[in-house]
Amino acid sequence: MKKLELKIDNKNWGTSYGQLVWQQLTKNRTNLVCLWFIIVLFTTAVFAPLIANDKPFVVRMASTGSPQVEGKVYFPLFGTLTANDYSVFLAAIIGVILLFLLRRNSRKVNPFLRSAVLWRQISVCTVILLLGIILLQFFIPRRLDATDYKAMLSSGKATDAIFPLVPYGYGRTDIKVCQRPPNRNHWLGTDDVGSDVLCRLIHGTRISLSVGFVAVGISGIVGIIFGAIMGYFGGKIDFLGMRLVEIMMSVPTFFLIITIVAFFPRSLFNIMVIIGITSWTDDARFIRAEFLKLRNQDFVQAAVSLGLPLRSILFRHMLPNGMAPVLVSVTFGVAGAIFIESALSFLGFGVAPPTPSWGQMLSTGVSTTGEFLWWLSFFPGLAIFFTVTAYNLLGEGLRDAIDPKLRKAV
Amino acid sequence: MTDNGTILSIQNLSTFFDTEQGTAKAVQNVSFDIKKGQTLALVGESGCGKSVTALSIMRLIPSPPGRIASGKIFFKSRDILEFSERQMRRIRGNKIAMIFQEPMTSLNPVYTIGSQIVEAISLHQKKSYQQAWQIAQEMLERVHIPDPDRRMVEYPHLLSGGMRQRVMIAMAISCRPSLLIADEPTTALDVTIQAQILDLLDELQKGENMSILLITHDLGVVAQRADNVTVMYASKIVEQCPCGELFNNPLHPYTKGLLNSLPQLGTRQNRLNTIAGNVPEPLNFPSGCKFHPRCPVGCNDKRCHTEEPALKQVSANHYAACWYAEK
Repeated sequence: MKKLELKIDNKNWGTSYGQLVWQQLTKNRTNLVCLWFIIVLFTTAVFAPLIANDKPFVVRMASTGSPQVEGKVYFPLFGTLTANDYSVFLAAIIGVILLFLLRRNSRKVNPFLRSAVLWRQISVCTVILLLGIILLQFFIPRRLDATDYKAMLSSGKATDAIFPLVPYGYGRTDIKVCQRPPNRNHWLGTDDVGSDVLCRLIHGTRISLSVGFVAVGISGIVGIIFGAIMGYFGGKIDFLGMRLVEIMMSVPTFFLIITIVAFFPRSLFNIMVIIGITSWTDDARFIRAEFLKLRNQDFVQAAVSLGLPLRSILFRHMLPNGMAPVLVSVTFGVAGAIFIESALSFLGFGVAPPTPSWGQMLSTGVSTTGEFLWWLSFFPGLAIFFTVTAYNLLGEGLRDAIDPKLRKAV
Repeated sequence: MTDNGTILSIQNLSTFFDTEQGTAKAVQNVSFDIKKGQTLALVGESGCGKSVTALSIMRLIPSPPGRIASGKIFFKSRDILEFSERQMRRIRGNKIAMIFQEPMTSLNPVYTIGSQIVEAISLHQKKSYQQAWQIAQEMLERVHIPDPDRRMVEYPHLLSGGMRQRVMIAMAISCRPSLLIADEPTTALDVTIQAQILDLLDELQKGENMSILLITHDLGVVAQRADNVTVMYASKIVEQCPCGELFNNPLHPYTKGLLNSLPQLGTRQNRLNTIAGNVPEPLNFPSGCKFHPRCPVGCNDKRCHTEEPALKQVSANHYAACWYAEK
């Protein structure tokens, strides 16, 4: 790899395009609210097991128990977290570090080196993340802890315990409290097997957010590359590409997904990939249309006449100018993916219970006896509604911020 | 072609566009040389193949439908039509640079002026960002942009048309090309700015000993700046001669018509003279001499209707393609 000079200089290199977009985006209050809402959602998703869990953070054993545990302090929650949970924490920490590095880069590193430095940072972080995940999987055993700490507390076996905010596990079944409307113990009620709705809602955030992101990430990348190539080259490539897109579009996506899901094991990963590879056609068409328009623009001609390589012309010069419609479609796509996942789960093709997802929770609203238990549908529905709305509003804000024509002189 | 003074030599270049209605012969059998440090003006009405010739030199003809059907383009004695795309990329912007007609849209709206020039520099020269930035700033100074330090970090939409054309020129000359193709560089600008830009090109040409292919339809521009003139009409060269000769002794009726259309100082004219009719479409060229339907001389001559005159030498370095072209 070429050695990069990481000289820190405080020369004014001008405001980069990214910084401009960010400034524009954060000027608008609606965008800020949406951004914060999504940050809160992400935090919830990452720390779900710390917010809603039936294991206490700390527990002190009472003297009534066997003498060797007397007065001892245990941390059952951290013991029962799986390697996956720890991996998610690690990923979140690395993600935040990357964001800080990005911010630092834009101030300290000159724009010419910025992307190279960023790529190096991303690759280092990815390696650390992968290594970390492997190590975690290796060293953290899968522990099952069936102890009922609440019972211990009430029976006097333990003297003190600090529980998370929502002291229930998402897989807990308790026939005694099933189908209860919201009350003091269960703020959002319980479902038909007695699980706490709030707890499942919090854990379901993980599923819904990751479906939205990974599926849209896949479809976005595939769509942009396909569309860019079709739009730029035109001719036969465009013809063949568009026929492929049309074939993909002529198949009803939802039924295709159901069919595929029926053949593969019910896993979250499969669902994300399938949604991703069936929904890239819209992005490809948007990008193609933009590129068809852009490739005859003078600045693209000028870029070619300067001898820039194709990659730079396509993705550095054309893409930022043709990104606006795709950004909107991508944010709608996040919303759409959450919807599809919900619908699949509603029909029983989604993630397998007891893993909670918002769509699956919606479907439990009508009980086997035919009653409508409003709290079972209302709260997950509300969660879906707010998430989708936040994404859509943010997408629109981003479109306005990114479009140089809509932007007033800075 | 092996002559050391010749930087670009085009021989029998033909560029065709395959359309559904047939083959549009946009450029046919065009040949000319440009010597080091000289300016060649390519003159003609819109649609007569000037820009296509320029794009052919850069190998920027969109293909399909366009194709360079025949001919050779020698740049520094090497036929660039045989170059691979990769070799061509090293030539573009580095050895041959181009300025476009529309300065308003030729700069990418999403990047600062500085970063666009720096990109061009660092693409062809091994320079650190700091050095490239320095060079870019010098280039902006050379094209007389006031306060280049501040302009470097500004976006194109903050600049006027003339300023943007200066930036385009700065970008084009930043790698010190030996040939600059200026495709109607002043058409979109008003007259005072036009003169400034042309003066600038002149100044830079002298400083760098650069050759310029100046594409224009403005004969006033030609008279001031060009060393040699090539007049094109309907895909072919109709007249070729040194600049002074063209104005003193035009041979082709088309050239005469063009000169006639200029307003004359000192005479009272109500209407400017025109050449009647339009440039024929490349799909539908007239038989014989392509100019005959509009020609005041040959419109009744049978030979002009049926036979096409070749470009022939009339005097030492004066060529014309007309049956009536005599000394």
